[in-house]
Amino acid sequence: MDLFADMGAFLLAQAEGAEEEGGSFLVSPGLGLMIWTLLLFGITLWVLSKVAFPRIGDALEKRASAIKENIEASERRRQEAEQLLDEYRQRLREAREQAEDIVVRARKASETAIAEAASEGKAKREELVAAARKDIEAETRRSLERIRSEVADLTVLATEKVTRKSLDDADQKRLVQEALAEVDFSALAGNGTEDKA
Amino acid sequence: MTRKAKIFLGVGIYFAILILLLVVLGNEGKNESFQPQNEFKLDPWISIEIAGIDLSINKAVLYLLLACGLTIGAMTFIASRMQREPNKIQMAVELAYDLTRNNITRGNIPDERLAQRWFPFLATLFFFIWFSNMIGFLPLPINTEHKIDIFGLEVPSLALYAATANLSIPLVLTLVVWFSYHVEGIRAKGFIGYLKSWLPPGLESMNPAAKAFIFVIEAVSQFARLISLSVRLFANILAGHLLLLFMGGGLAVLLGVAALGLLTFPLAFFFFILEVGLIATLQAFIFSTLTAIYLGGATAETH
Repeated sequence: MDLFADMGAFLLAQAEGAEEEGGSFLVSPGLGLMIWTLLLFGITLWVLSKVAFPRIGDALEKRASAIKENIEASERRRQEAEQLLDEYRQRLREAREQAEDIVVRARKASETAIAEAASEGKAKREELVAAARKDIEAETRRSLERIRSEVADLTVLATEKVTRKSLDDADQKRLVQEALAEVDFSALAGNGTEDKA
Repeated sequence: MTRKAKIFLGVGIYFAILILLLVVLGNEGKNESFQPQNEFKLDPWISIEIAGIDLSINKAVLYLLLACGLTIGAMTFIASRMQREPNKIQMAVELAYDLTRNNITRGNIPDERLAQRWFPFLATLFFFIWFSNMIGFLPLPINTEHKIDIFGLEVPSLALYAATANLSIPLVLTLVVWFSYHVEGIRAKGFIGYLKSWLPPGLESMNPAAKAFIFVIEAVSQFARLISLSVRLFANILAGHLLLLFMGGGLAVLLGVAALGLLTFPLAFFFFILEVGLIATLQAFIFSTLTAIYLGGATAETH
């Protein structure tokens, strides 16, 4: 602490010495220097406010607005992207729904097709069966007719042989009809009409 | 060895060397011929006298010229080549610009129009004082008292000086500030209104005599600002330079104790860092901020 005491003593001595000089030059303001200061500060102020500050301010403002614009642009782009994404999602959902719909419809269509085909087949089969039966019936009837006429002819022949007398056509026919009416063919027709009965 | 032991050993060796040097070099007695205050003496280099006013070019004028030139040169240079992506120097200048604009000016002057008007003045104050303070820490060949002979050329020896370590310069800047804020105050409120606004609010019901007394105090405080603003800057810079002078060897020379230099030199280094890194910028900031506060206060709606 001796150091500081010495320093203090020195400064005190200087102050005293200054008093002897009639005011220390350390603290006495000089008018000339003040005028120099005013002049040079004035020049500095003028140049800086005319040249330097506006340019720096402009550059900073330009950058700030550029940054703001960039932020806004990126925000806009982000929103657009989000919108697009939403749109795509929506479309994807729709597409999926449509696909599901298509599958469902296809399944239904195939089921109905199968059912239709089955029923059609059944109908056709029945038709065929019916046709076959009709044919059989017709054939049976024809056969019966043939048998009947054969029997009639045979009967006529037999009668002629027995009676040696030929009958006229009208008698013949009448006789045959009478005879045939007595003959029961039901046993013969039995096979052909069994289904019908 | 622990860290603690190492530190103790280091300090011990340092003091041992100090004591050894004290013993070897001894005390040469007080040095009467060394006058440290002459470091701040302004000898006229080129004598100029106009209308009885001494306008001689001296050390302080040179430093003012340097400050003026550097401020204008650096700022216009940076301003003329502002890049979209700034380099480090531009970034620093932008930071300082932003500090003066938003922190110092707009932070203390709420009225935007007024802030716009006074921003150049406040920013110039900041940069001018900052450059003045900073060149004060560059050793320049300005000591005409002691010359060095370099190949027959008489070159003044290197020395530190600062324009702001002379009272005239902060004082005249303070005067400009002082008149500026009064003029702005009168412009905003009228002469009587401005004087009335010196009174703090809440005294409406006080009796006139007490009001007058408080007004006198306020008026004195207005004049005290002349001294406080100028002396704060001047004394801080002067004290810093005196400290550097004494710690950097002046004290050892003055007392004739050479070994003292070993003790004071690390302190000089410490103070130098403190002054350059903090005080120079801080004082410029304080000066311009107080100016902005005075301007804002003089024009504020309520006191």
